[in-house]
Amino acid sequence: MKTRFYKIVKVGAFTKRLLFLTGLFVLSLSITLTAQQMHQYSGVVKGADGQPLPGVNVIEKGTGNGTTTDMNGSFTLRSENAPVVLKFTMVGFSEVEMTVQPGSSVQVEMKESAVALNQVVVVGYGVQKKSLVTGSISQVSASDIKATPASRVDQAIQGMTSGVTVLPTSGSPGAGTQIRIRGVNSNGNSNPLFIVDGMKTGDINNIDPSDIKSVEILKDAASAAIYGTEGSNGVILITTKSGKAGKGVISYDFQYGIQNSRSDMKLMTASEYGQWQQEAGANIPIVQDGTNTDWLSEIFQTAPMQKHHLSFSGGTKKTSYYLSTSYFDQDGIVGGPKANYNRLTSRFNVSSKIKKWLEVGTNMSYSHSNQRYIAQDNEYRSVVNSALGMDPLTPVAYSGTLSNVQDLIDQGYTILQDANGNYYGLAKYVTGEIVNPVAFLQTFHNKIKQDKLLGTSYVSLKPVKGLTITSRIGYNLTFQSNHAWHPVYYFSAENQNSMTTIDDNLNKWSRWLWENFASYKRTIGKHHFSVLLGYSAEESESPWYYLHSGPMIAEGDQYAYHTYATSRDFDKVGGTYSRQTMNSIFSRVTYSFMDKYLVEASVRRDAASVFPENNKSAVFPSVSVGWVLSNEDFFDFTKVSYFKIRGSWGENGSKANLPGNEDKEFWVFSGIRYPDATDNFQSGARIDKLINPDLRWERTQMLDLGFDSRFFGDKLSISMDYYNKTTKDLIVQGTGPLSVGNNYPNINGGDVSNKGFEFDVGYRNYNHAFKYGIHANFSTVKNEVTHLAVNAPVPGANVRGYNLTWFKEGYPIWYFKGYKTNGIDPATGDPNIVDVDGDGAITPADQTMIGNPFPDFTYGATVNLAYKGLDFRLFLQGVSGNDIFMGWFRTDRPYSNKPEFMFTDRWTSSHTDATMPAANNTSDYIYRSDLMVKDGSYMRIKQIQVGYTMPEKWFKNDIQALRLFVSLDDYFTFTKYPGLDPEVGSYNPSSQGVDRGLYPISGKVLFGLSVKF
Amino acid sequence: MKYLNSKILMIGILLVFLSSCSKDFLDVKPVGRLTSDNYLKTNEQVKSALIGVYATIQYNYSNGAWASVYFMKNLPGDDCLCGSSEGDQPEYQRIDDFTMTADNKKIESIWSNFYKTISQCNTIINQAATDTPEEKGMVAEAKALRGMTYFDLVTIFGGVPLMTVNPGDPSEYSKPRATEDEIYAQVFKDFTEAIPDLPLKSQYSAADKFRMSKGAAQAFLGKAYVYHKDYDKAVTQLEAVINSGEYALEPKFADVWTKKSEFGQESLFEVSYTAVESYDWGTFPWGGGNQSNIECQLEGPRSDIFDLSNSTLNVVNGWGFNNPSAKIGHAFEAAHDSVRGAATVMSAADFEATGGVIKVTTFHDYEGYMRMKYVTRASESSTAGVRELNYTTNWRLMRYADVLLLAAEAYHFSGNDTQALVELNKVRARAKLASVVAGADVFAAIVHERELELAFEASRFWDLVRWNMAADTLSDIGFVAGKNEHFPIPQNEIIANDSISQSDQNPGY
Repeated sequence: MKTRFYKIVKVGAFTKRLLFLTGLFVLSLSITLTAQQMHQYSGVVKGADGQPLPGVNVIEKGTGNGTTTDMNGSFTLRSENAPVVLKFTMVGFSEVEMTVQPGSSVQVEMKESAVALNQVVVVGYGVQKKSLVTGSISQVSASDIKATPASRVDQAIQGMTSGVTVLPTSGSPGAGTQIRIRGVNSNGNSNPLFIVDGMKTGDINNIDPSDIKSVEILKDAASAAIYGTEGSNGVILITTKSGKAGKGVISYDFQYGIQNSRSDMKLMTASEYGQWQQEAGANIPIVQDGTNTDWLSEIFQTAPMQKHHLSFSGGTKKTSYYLSTSYFDQDGIVGGPKANYNRLTSRFNVSSKIKKWLEVGTNMSYSHSNQRYIAQDNEYRSVVNSALGMDPLTPVAYSGTLSNVQDLIDQGYTILQDANGNYYGLAKYVTGEIVNPVAFLQTFHNKIKQDKLLGTSYVSLKPVKGLTITSRIGYNLTFQSNHAWHPVYYFSAENQNSMTTIDDNLNKWSRWLWENFASYKRTIGKHHFSVLLGYSAEESESPWYYLHSGPMIAEGDQYAYHTYATSRDFDKVGGTYSRQTMNSIFSRVTYSFMDKYLVEASVRRDAASVFPENNKSAVFPSVSVGWVLSNEDFFDFTKVSYFKIRGSWGENGSKANLPGNEDKEFWVFSGIRYPDATDNFQSGARIDKLINPDLRWERTQMLDLGFDSRFFGDKLSISMDYYNKTTKDLIVQGTGPLSVGNNYPNINGGDVSNKGFEFDVGYRNYNHAFKYGIHANFSTVKNEVTHLAVNAPVPGANVRGYNLTWFKEGYPIWYFKGYKTNGIDPATGDPNIVDVDGDGAITPADQTMIGNPFPDFTYGATVNLAYKGLDFRLFLQGVSGNDIFMGWFRTDRPYSNKPEFMFTDRWTSSHTDATMPAANNTSDYIYRSDLMVKDGSYMRIKQIQVGYTMPEKWFKNDIQALRLFVSLDDYFTFTKYPGLDPEVGSYNPSSQGVDRGLYPISGKVLFGLSVKF
Repeated sequence: MKYLNSKILMIGILLVFLSSCSKDFLDVKPVGRLTSDNYLKTNEQVKSALIGVYATIQYNYSNGAWASVYFMKNLPGDDCLCGSSEGDQPEYQRIDDFTMTADNKKIESIWSNFYKTISQCNTIINQAATDTPEEKGMVAEAKALRGMTYFDLVTIFGGVPLMTVNPGDPSEYSKPRATEDEIYAQVFKDFTEAIPDLPLKSQYSAADKFRMSKGAAQAFLGKAYVYHKDYDKAVTQLEAVINSGEYALEPKFADVWTKKSEFGQESLFEVSYTAVESYDWGTFPWGGGNQSNIECQLEGPRSDIFDLSNSTLNVVNGWGFNNPSAKIGHAFEAAHDSVRGAATVMSAADFEATGGVIKVTTFHDYEGYMRMKYVTRASESSTAGVRELNYTTNWRLMRYADVLLLAAEAYHFSGNDTQALVELNKVRARAKLASVVAGADVFAAIVHERELELAFEASRFWDLVRWNMAADTLSDIGFVAGKNEHFPIPQNEIIANDSISQSDQNPGY
């Protein structure tokens, strides 16, 4: 055992040396390599419209020798060979090859193509020609991403491609997303695996979208199978930018935006509220005193955001580099600076061919972020929830000191004051945790600081032709401190704090991943084949520390450190540690004949520490085939430029957040104690939970059938996929009879099926001065739990103490369960509850499915128009057929306010034909029924952007391009949902579609500038 | 070919590293836990498991202010109103109003925790070493604690699944509802087996006085016999407690619920809490696991009604649950029971006489009285920490006055009214009330005495049910005969348990 660790340490030392070497390369960058003066080739590259094309790659075929065209489209290349074959390539254009004599100057015309044939896509452990791919892989390129104001890559790909759903967990700055590739199939963690330049990472919040060259989404199991264990939710491969040989490029992007709430949600006004409470039988008379506070408009504010991105890139024949730094800063539309997120990133990518047979490189990024946050996604204590529930008769602040305030001050309570010294209004009618949200905002002093290092370094050997052996080590290190202090305040008996305290949660997450793989490519006649064989090992660990103390010397950030607490009586500490290891072997074989018949197969074996002794390892196979009909001789449709049909089947796994050791019984001691008769604690123990020695890997099998096609000289492209995904042995937190009296272990709980169709259609014509392109995607998904291995449905998210979402055979995963209504009784105004079990009485056993949080279909569309320097972009995205449960109501706080539609649509003795029941604050038959379930369909215009690129002739010297743009982002939303925002995400996977008073997504007005030198 | 050597060297290095892939690498040691293979083999280990049982009981009696067996047993009684503000903690309100349903989370919570207690006891009973007298005693203690838990279960729910051995395989998880008699038989068996091996309270060290003693086990067994109407057997057990010389009534009734009488002469069994944690609003474990008795704060007088700032009462405002009914207030006044009355409820007039102010006269579940038994006394909380969060008050689950009244009842129903009155009058004497004399309606006297002596002590409702008086006494506050004698079996138990279906639910739910 010890020797093994020693070896791992050696690996670390080896990497360090490697890093040191790459460090040396950076220094060497300033040394320009002298090119040999040989033959000279030059020329001009133009587009079909006669405009010069800058940035075209010009490569001498068969060598690494190359350059790029300048802003006039011209190039000069020197070579020792004569004549040479030059290859001209550029993304979006068809490749051109041409034999050129020395000394001559050539004119090259490049035609734009919707999908260039030679375009490659990144796949696991390599790249493949897009035309020969047999799996279902979506690509989002830098040009698609750069237009968005998003701080995160995952936000930037929302709506861009079929089969991928991106749902923000919150609209607050810095919040993450829930990404679902082809539906939800895992119980714990349904997020896909992120691979950044080869390194696994759980979160991509530290990567600036501007640094990204392309994002590949491996949607089918066969493509993802090479990642085995963690591929069952799909894989997102992120490739960051690298430098190109030729002149160095400096590029700077800037965005500034103003954000606003775009919600038109209305709550009851003071008079409506008074009327409602009276009809609901309030015990307390509601007195109108002229106060009518619109709490939503009180908490929303305009908030600025800005972004800077600066990069330097370039290279020589052998060495390329890319350096960048970015700064992002966004205030929240609720809380402003109290919800601010800012982030600094820097990136350093370099690669060098130091020998003919040896290439080394590194991609390193560092980020530092600060996220301030306020309470949200919580029906008990959150700012937005309080704004939704606060009675409109309470003023934001009083002028003068009212007797109720004075009484509380006399009793020693601290009542918060606004900037003018006025006391904030205290709830006039509503009780409990629902408090003045404007004042509540003042109590938050929270900050999450993250320092994150993510990088890979590799060495790649080419000992013989066709064979590449790569050893790559990746490291992912995150330090996080979640620092908070709590001031003294009093709103109500249930929402108060009488002593200042300080909390720190310190986390570190680290993972190293070491991969060694060899690939061999060979062409024999018309047979092309390649073989990949690899081995990897990884280890992750995460310690956590907790510190608490108080009281503080005084309130203020500068006193919020434990040493300065004025007492040691309240000190608390905590800490845990977890560690996981895994090793794997993997292989892939591809074969193609005449670029017509394509076959690929892969297999991966993973063994992980988190599984029981007898099920440590699992094997995940895949196979896929393709047939490029358009390459057949008999294929004689001139309008069809490319047509490929493909099919794949594969298997993936999931560890699903397992803690490990589910097969062993343990005694636990933490927190178990009892105060004895002399007031001293005696420490206790109990058995942790039941055991499950049979726990197996969760497996996802997916069949994918599809075609890719292009028409009319590649102007029109159509792709379609059908997929059928089955997740078997889904790992869930076990459940069973409560009378067993013990906690249940993780179990293989059942099977989930996701099926659907995906369409991607694009049409573009860039061959004239007026260029246009339109791309649309459409996806369907049907989710169902097809088998439940445990006796009982598994309860999921809890709302106000009851289980709202469930995992049950024959139903969508985490469907909503509650009372089903059948109209409003015209006589009483109460909802008619359906007696589902037919026993003649309405009991909890009548609760049934009342909603499905998953959409029937999702779609996205982009329209790009350009004329001369002007460009226009419209991007919309939507979902249809999903349900949202309005879960922010507090039946235990009957005096809380409600949305206006509940008032206007309600039953009254004079309006008996109503869609909503009579005024009622507490009934489960209303607040746990389908009356709370609303259609969550929406269409959002994510972006309308107009840009202008200034003609080059305006600039004297170095400036290559300067573009200005204005943009409206997330500005228009079409929905019937009556809540704040139909994009209802949650941090909790089993709580999707449950609106607990969510922080809505802001609308943004943006101005931007990008310039290239 | 020189470079080829370096290539081979590098490939060689890779291969060496590859060999580091081994099984050891995947063997990750569990953090912060002990394997069960060798546990429960020493006195200390068995003791720790036993403390684990007490911790679960403590959790079940005050679980982060969200569910307490003690409060829930009080709620359906006519002495206790749910209180707080309208609609607050609706699942408590519904128990008070007899409108609870099977998905009541608080009922589910206490059910789960009763069974966690039982499971932990089962582990000790079936696995602990019994080589030393201490170990034997502790196994007996676990049996008595299990008996006590099943007694609560059968009282509250009727017949329940009988688990005496913890299941290993999932096929053993689902057990059907046993009959009430089967559960009672287990209760009697557990206590009967435990009693010979249990120490007397006086034999425990000062620190260990919280533990289940022979006397406490006999008292609980006697109580269970009374509930099961086995009066002769009840007399035997209760007499043994009375004659043991271990217990006596506190001279002052008002002292019974204060810190100074904790584990005192009147106390047979308590659930222990402490103020030493000095919780603040940030550190208090709202999800449960609190070592202070947050239920006291939950049930303290609500500031919306009671302004205590100028009162001479040394009482702190709470969240207003567990308000006294007018009925119990009037009962003390009608009986001229001023000693116990003053220590149990306080009228608005008496409150104002202390300098307090009644801020509103109409408020949810306010009927003109403030509860004084178990009230939030400043003296019962921490002087250092936040007062509201650090009540040390223990729940007295079995005290000597109850033993005497149970004995009186057992004597009465076994035909010995003379002795019944002797025990009854001991309780009345402490309350400075005249003795009940021979010839009176002894049963009526016992009913009356229990109502006043044990108000707000989780007894009233269950007494009425077992006396078949609930329908007559409680119908006006919503009690439905044939239904509300028991709580519903939790919906999630029925959903998850293969051997219990909706048709096995208690009638009416």
